[in-house]
Amino acid sequence: MSVKKLDQLIDLAKTKEKKKLVVAYGQDAHTLGAVSKAVDLGFVDVIIVANKEIVEKVCKEEGIDPSKFEIVNEPNEISAGRKAVNLINEGKGNMLMKGLISSDNYMRAILNKDEGLLPAKATLSHISVFEVPTYHKLLITSDVAVIPAPDISQKISIANYLIKTAHRLDIENPKMALVCLSEKTNPKIQQTVDAAIITKMADRGQIKGAIVDGPMGFDLAIDQESAQIKKFNSPVAGDADCILWSNIEAGNVFYKTVTKLCHAELAAIVVGAKCPAILSSRGDSTKTKLYSIALAALMA
Amino acid sequence: MKPIRSLDQLAEHVQSSCTKKKIAVAAAEDSNTFDAIVKATENGIVEAVMLGSAERIRQLCEEKSFDPDKFTIIDIPDELKATQEAVRMVKAGEADILMKGLVGTDKFLKAVLDKSAGLLPAKQIMSYVCALEIPAYHKLLFISDTAVLPFPDLNQKIAMTNFSIKMAKRFGIEKPKVALIGASEKVSLTFPNSIDYAMIAKMSQRHQLEEAIIDGPLDVFLACDKESVEIKGVKTAIDGDADILIFPNIEVSNAFYKGLMLFAGAELGGLIQGTEKPVVVMSRSESPKSKYYCIALACLMAEER
Repeated sequence: MSVKKLDQLIDLAKTKEKKKLVVAYGQDAHTLGAVSKAVDLGFVDVIIVANKEIVEKVCKEEGIDPSKFEIVNEPNEISAGRKAVNLINEGKGNMLMKGLISSDNYMRAILNKDEGLLPAKATLSHISVFEVPTYHKLLITSDVAVIPAPDISQKISIANYLIKTAHRLDIENPKMALVCLSEKTNPKIQQTVDAAIITKMADRGQIKGAIVDGPMGFDLAIDQESAQIKKFNSPVAGDADCILWSNIEAGNVFYKTVTKLCHAELAAIVVGAKCPAILSSRGDSTKTKLYSIALAALMA
Repeated sequence: MKPIRSLDQLAEHVQSSCTKKKIAVAAAEDSNTFDAIVKATENGIVEAVMLGSAERIRQLCEEKSFDPDKFTIIDIPDELKATQEAVRMVKAGEADILMKGLVGTDKFLKAVLDKSAGLLPAKQIMSYVCALEIPAYHKLLFISDTAVLPFPDLNQKIAMTNFSIKMAKRFGIEKPKVALIGASEKVSLTFPNSIDYAMIAKMSQRHQLEEAIIDGPLDVFLACDKESVEIKGVKTAIDGDADILIFPNIEVSNAFYKGLMLFAGAELGGLIQGTEKPVVVMSRSESPKSKYYCIALACLMAEER
C-alpha cells in the first residue's frame, strides 16, 4: 500500500532492514530528541559524532539514555562534520544527519571533492514530502532548498529523484506535474520548454516509472475542479503525487506557505550524494526531524 | 468532402469542383512552364494572364501549336517590371494566383516580398509545402520545407507545421497526422531539433496549433511504417500512418523528395505558403506532370471556402 500520511513513513521504515544513521555534531536537544525517538521506534541505529561530554549532559537533561547511541568523541564542529562523512565513506553508516553544525560546514563536508559524498557529475538536490491537511495524499516536491535555478539536465535529475522517492513510498506509478505559471507552452519562457522536453522524454521511456505532464499551473496539478473549469485534459490534473518546481523561489514559497499557513508537516532530505542526508534546521519540529529520518531510512 | 488521396485526384477535384482561377504568370515567355500552363488552360482550371515579352510568348504558342488568343497577353518585356505588374494584379484582386516564369528566383521573390507592394503580410513567415505522391505509400504525404526556409528555427517550424496542416485539411483530411522528423524518436539535449519537436508536440497537445495529431521526434520509419512502430514498441499516435512530415532542415527534405522522385517514381505538387494569395514557383527539373500539379494545387488553395 502506498504511503499517504507521514506517520506511515515510520511504519514502512520499520518493515525494512534497520539502517545506520550518522549524526554530524549531534549535541543539541532537538537533534538528540529526534534520533532517540527513531532508535526507540527501532528503524535505525545511531552513531553520534560530537563532543561526548556535551552529548551526555544534554541527554541527562532530556531524560535520554545515552547508551542507546554509539558516540564518537569529536569536540570540533568542522572535524565532526568530516568524521561523520568519513564514517559513511568507510561503510559504517548509510545515512547522514545534521546536528548543531552550521549548514555551510555540513554541506562543505558533503561536497568535499576528495573526501566528500558526491559522486562525480552527480546532481545534488533536495526532496521534501508534505502532508497538507487539505490534500488527499502526500506531495513529493523538489527543489525547494538546494538548486536555485535548475537547468534542463538538473530538472531531469530532479524528476528521477522524485520518481525514486515515490517508488520508495510504494507509490507505483506516481503522477508528476511540471509546474509553471499555466498550461500554455511558450518558446520565450524556458520553463515551459523544459517541461515540454521532460514530458516527451517520459513519453519515449527516457524517464521511466511515472506519468509526467507539464507545463501546468499549480492549481491544475492539485485541484480537479480547476482542471475541469479550464477544460484541462491531463492524466496528472488534480491528482499529482510529485511536483517539480521551475525554480527554488516557487518551491520555497510553497514550502513556507503550507507549513506556516496550512499546518502542513514535512519530511525532507538532500539527495544525489552517496547516501541520503538530512538537512533539518533548528526551526523544524521534532516531528519533521523524525519523519525526515524515516524518509532517509527508506531512501538509504 | 472525400479526402483527396492522389495527385490525379487533386487534378480531377480541381477540374470538377473548383471555379476557374485567374493566374498571372510573370515573365511568361518560359518554355519550362509553358506546357503546364497550356494544359491548365485547356483543362479549364485557369485563365492565364501572360505578362512578359508578347513577341516571345506568341512565338512559344506557335511552336506548341497553341492559340495565343486563349491567353490574355500583356507585353512587358522587362522581367522585373513584368513580375511587379503580376504581383500588383494579384494583390489588387485582378488575379487569384501568381506564378513565376522566366525570371530569376531572387528577382521574383524581391517583388513578392516588397514591403508595401508585395504579397507577404508584415511578420508573416513564408514557407513551402509539397504534396508528394509516392507509389509505395498508401496516401499523399505532405512535406515541408523543401524550398524556402533552409534552417528553420522553432517559430518557423511551428509555421511550417500549421501551413502543412491547413493544406492537408484542404485535401479533406480532417485530422492530419503530423510527424516531426529526426534521426530517432528519442529526445536529446544535444539534438536541438528534438527539443523543438518536443515543444511543438506539447503546444499541439495544449491546443496552441492548428488541430491535428502531432508527434515528434520520430524517424521516417516510425512515421510511415506501422511494422517499424510495432517492432520498436514506440507509443505514438502517428502509428506509421503520417499525412505530414516536418523536416529539420532543407538539406534533409530536399534529399528526401528528390531521392523519391528519382528512384521511386514520386510526383509532387508544391506551393509557397504564407502569402496573401497562392504563389507558384516550380523548379526546372520537375517533371511535366508535377508542374501541372503545382498549378492544380494553387487552384485548390485559392478556392474560396
